[in-house]
Amino acid sequence: MKTLVTRGIQALMVAVLIGAATFAMMRSLPGDAAYRIAAGRYGYDNVDSAAADAVRDELGLGGPALPAFLTWLGDLLRLDFGTSLVTGQPVIAEIGHQLGASLALAAVAVLLSLLIGPPLGIIAGLRPGGALDRVLLVVSTGLKAVPQFLMALILILVLSVQFRLLPAAGHGEARHFILPALALALGLAAVNARIARDAMARIGAMPFYSFARWKGLSPRQTLLRHGLRNVSVPLLTYLGLQFVTLVEGVVVVEAVFGWPGIGHALVHAIFSRDVPMVQGTALFLGLSFVLINAVIDLVTARIDPRRAA
Amino acid sequence: MTLLKAEDITVADGATRILHPVSLYLDSGEPLVILGETGSGKSLLAQALMGTLPGELSARGRVAIGDRLLDAARPEGFRMLWGRDIAVLPQEPWLSLDPLMRADRQVSEAHRLVRGPGAAEARDRTADDFRRLDLTGAGQRYPHELSGGMAQRVAIAAARAGGARIVIADEPTKGLDAARRDGVADLLLAELSRGGGLLVITHDLALARRIGGRLIVLRDGQVVETGPTATVMAAPVQPYTRDLIAADPDNWPARKPVTGGATVLTATGLAAERGGARLFTGLSFDLGEGRIMGVTGPSGCGKSTLGDVMLGLVPAAAGRVEPAPALPRTAFQKLYQDPVAAFPRHRALGRTLADVARRHGQGQDRIGALLPRLGLAPVLLSRRPAAVSGGELQRLALLRLLLVRPKFIFADEPTSRLDPITQKQVIALLCDTSETEGCAVMLVSHDPALVSRTADHVLSLGPAPVDADVTPRDIAAALQ
Amino acid sequence: MTDAVMIPRATDHAVRWTGTLLVAAVLAFALLGPLAVPGDPFAQSLLKALAGPEAGAPLGYDHLGRSIFHRLAHALRLSPAIALAAVLTAGLAGLILGTLAAARGGWTDRVLVTLADALLALPGLLLVLIVLGIVPGTALGFWAGLSLVLWVEFFRLTRAATRDTLASPAVQASRLLGFGPAYVFRTHIWPEIALMMLTTAAFGTATAIMAIAALGFVHVGMRAPTPELGLMMVELLPYWREAPLALLSPVIATFALLLGLTLSAGSRTP
Repeated sequence: MKTLVTRGIQALMVAVLIGAATFAMMRSLPGDAAYRIAAGRYGYDNVDSAAADAVRDELGLGGPALPAFLTWLGDLLRLDFGTSLVTGQPVIAEIGHQLGASLALAAVAVLLSLLIGPPLGIIAGLRPGGALDRVLLVVSTGLKAVPQFLMALILILVLSVQFRLLPAAGHGEARHFILPALALALGLAAVNARIARDAMARIGAMPFYSFARWKGLSPRQTLLRHGLRNVSVPLLTYLGLQFVTLVEGVVVVEAVFGWPGIGHALVHAIFSRDVPMVQGTALFLGLSFVLINAVIDLVTARIDPRRAA
Repeated sequence: MTLLKAEDITVADGATRILHPVSLYLDSGEPLVILGETGSGKSLLAQALMGTLPGELSARGRVAIGDRLLDAARPEGFRMLWGRDIAVLPQEPWLSLDPLMRADRQVSEAHRLVRGPGAAEARDRTADDFRRLDLTGAGQRYPHELSGGMAQRVAIAAARAGGARIVIADEPTKGLDAARRDGVADLLLAELSRGGGLLVITHDLALARRIGGRLIVLRDGQVVETGPTATVMAAPVQPYTRDLIAADPDNWPARKPVTGGATVLTATGLAAERGGARLFTGLSFDLGEGRIMGVTGPSGCGKSTLGDVMLGLVPAAAGRVEPAPALPRTAFQKLYQDPVAAFPRHRALGRTLADVARRHGQGQDRIGALLPRLGLAPVLLSRRPAAVSGGELQRLALLRLLLVRPKFIFADEPTSRLDPITQKQVIALLCDTSETEGCAVMLVSHDPALVSRTADHVLSLGPAPVDADVTPRDIAAALQ
Repeated sequence: MTDAVMIPRATDHAVRWTGTLLVAAVLAFALLGPLAVPGDPFAQSLLKALAGPEAGAPLGYDHLGRSIFHRLAHALRLSPAIALAAVLTAGLAGLILGTLAAARGGWTDRVLVTLADALLALPGLLLVLIVLGIVPGTALGFWAGLSLVLWVEFFRLTRAATRDTLASPAVQASRLLGFGPAYVFRTHIWPEIALMMLTTAAFGTATAIMAIAALGFVHVGMRAPTPELGLMMVELLPYWREAPLALLSPVIATFALLLGLTLSAGSRTP
């Protein structure tokens, strides 16, 4: 219960922070922002000072900063995100439009990383210092040092340009998923594997783990009955935090592969200073983080009764 | 009937032998106690018999268990005996139960998976175990909802569920107070009476005495003395065994009472709370120079909180603590249970002491003068806290206090982590300090014998209001 | 207990040193390279577009005929300089605020933790992008944005370690012995967090360099014609078949720098 309250406060703070940042962004738009925006919306030929004034009022760009900021925040907290400065469509509709593609990509990437990382990490953690542990340490350190865009670049060069195995861009078919998902998943798996490895090694060294063996359980029974459950708690907690890494990756990888998702749109919005779009997207991402972590809080509290107290 | 026979067990760390040949046998119905201080090799012996030595150590020797012959050099051979022939009782039962599994399942899984009856039968046997061990109703609890005593009983049920006849208990009373210690001894003896053998490894003379049977005394990896426990305890032959037994607080001579000097500290109507529950109330006393006040009571009764209140670290819920006027704040000091945790761990001890001396206008020579008085070698000053033995570090902690010329020392279980002989030395030094420095001491201990032999007057705190044996208080309350 | 689980100390030292040497090698190239082979990172010569290495341009030319060697050296000064400035600012802010939150507790602590938690919920790249939209000047924007992102980790670590340390018997003993806050910080708190700060600084520098390169790569970071690692890669990507070395140079340099930083942080998990 207490954690849910904390998460609620976190969500509120996220909204206020993003509101403040995007307000500052709006205020620092170069030139007469209202005029530019109106021009972007209606075309330069159709803009007159009345249209610019209307935009100025709508966005609260004129007048003293504090009342304008409070209006701005008020709109935000009522979840009124306004309309895109570029397309004129409501921001919510725009986000909804792009969300599916991003979710699909993120889901495939996370699934892939979970298939690769934690199993390897757990096997390595069962024998700390063993051969697999050492190899995994080298590989995961190397992978961690490759940023997602570089991973994407390397995959494109090797699998797409050199060997022509997979398409570098495009969307809609299963094979289009492979490169962007892999570019995301390898980095996530490198860190997942380390977390799982450390958790397993730590739990394997705990007295209750040896005691399970002393009771007469086999190594396999001990791992299945006492290892995995205990490893899952730190792993899940970490996965919740990894969401930000995932989002960063999605933004970059979508931009690189031209994937028509929320990240691609965000980069465009930044480029064209479409502040309501930036705000809406940022808020959506921030609140998703809070929501996902709130769910993980509840799940880990169910697995680990000590957390529920 | 001999259940276990071990011949010429040795343990080596590379080429260095750290346990010299030990032979022993374990008969059905007669417990065997292995007694020794830290570093005596008693745990290595136990681990060699269980096949659980850490990888860098190697054992040699032959072990016969039932009709099976095992080579101590091949620990894998012991693994199939775990649970089926050997039951290992862990040191800290709370940490030995899976925190995410309910108590009854931790026992029933051992019944089902090790001996292989059906699920229903495993459940019935578990229920029998819980009834026999007075754990009725505890099956649905998670380990953190069990008291220490209950966790110990769940652990012993789980350890023996596989049908093992030999019980090995390595330091089963580590960190327990006197009442709980006797409870564990009785539990082990009750298990023994169900048939099988019992091997207890301990540093605790009181536990050894209560378990009885036969005794092996180890020191520096070598057997010092063997014989029936009662005989050895009553008439030790070897000088080391004599020292060891004389170091048991039960055998200490009583200290000469001191008629106190000027009053250092007065407490009137003190009360303290923890988490909303009253720990104690209406305590009034005064402490005079050179006097030692002993404080006893079961764990959780508020002994440490009393000290924090006396030192002004925690506000009192009611009442007053009045230091004698004209005494500086630094005249009131504390000696900690775990001396390693009481020093800055990244700083050489000499530097820490020099800092204190400088802060209180004392020269380096004062440290030099105090070292021999406390039986400390100057070389220790160049080390960090973790590289010094517990007994030496506790004496260094005393030295640090002497640099500020204290008038009151709150000694919070200062020797509970030390071996008996070291404990005796440290307590003697503390008494000596109190007398020569004219310093009032409040000595907390869970050992009534230690307090009664040392203190001029004793404050006995009652059990805590809520079931003090249970860790998280609110959970205990919720379950009732 | 953790010691048994973790990597042996000697291996950890070796790893840290390898990483430090790798970083030093890359920085030595960036700082000394142009002194050994003088040249201009901006000078164009379209005749030499995508030409191979020669004495004046040891790594060949890009699509506009600019020396890759000099552009790379310039880029390898720019990103680390911004990253280092941001890490220093963030480290100092995190250290001060973290110690303050742990020592003061109460509302100071609550407000700072809430703020840090909210920042933690936002992807770092997104924050940097927004700050870039507010602050005039890209380099200044990166510095401000990255400082804003990076201080949180320093803050959380400092606060947690300081809280534990302040609650320890060792600090209680020091206070009873008459020592003040300055002594407690110097002898108890700083030794506990120093190594951790260094590790976090190495990771933070790597994160910052990655962020600058990633945003450059997707055209929302440094602007052309500034030589920047990500920007160089995306500019040279279309010419991969004609001039593979031109693209590989920034790729390899970036990887070496990031790997060096990751290794110098030690084998701890982030």
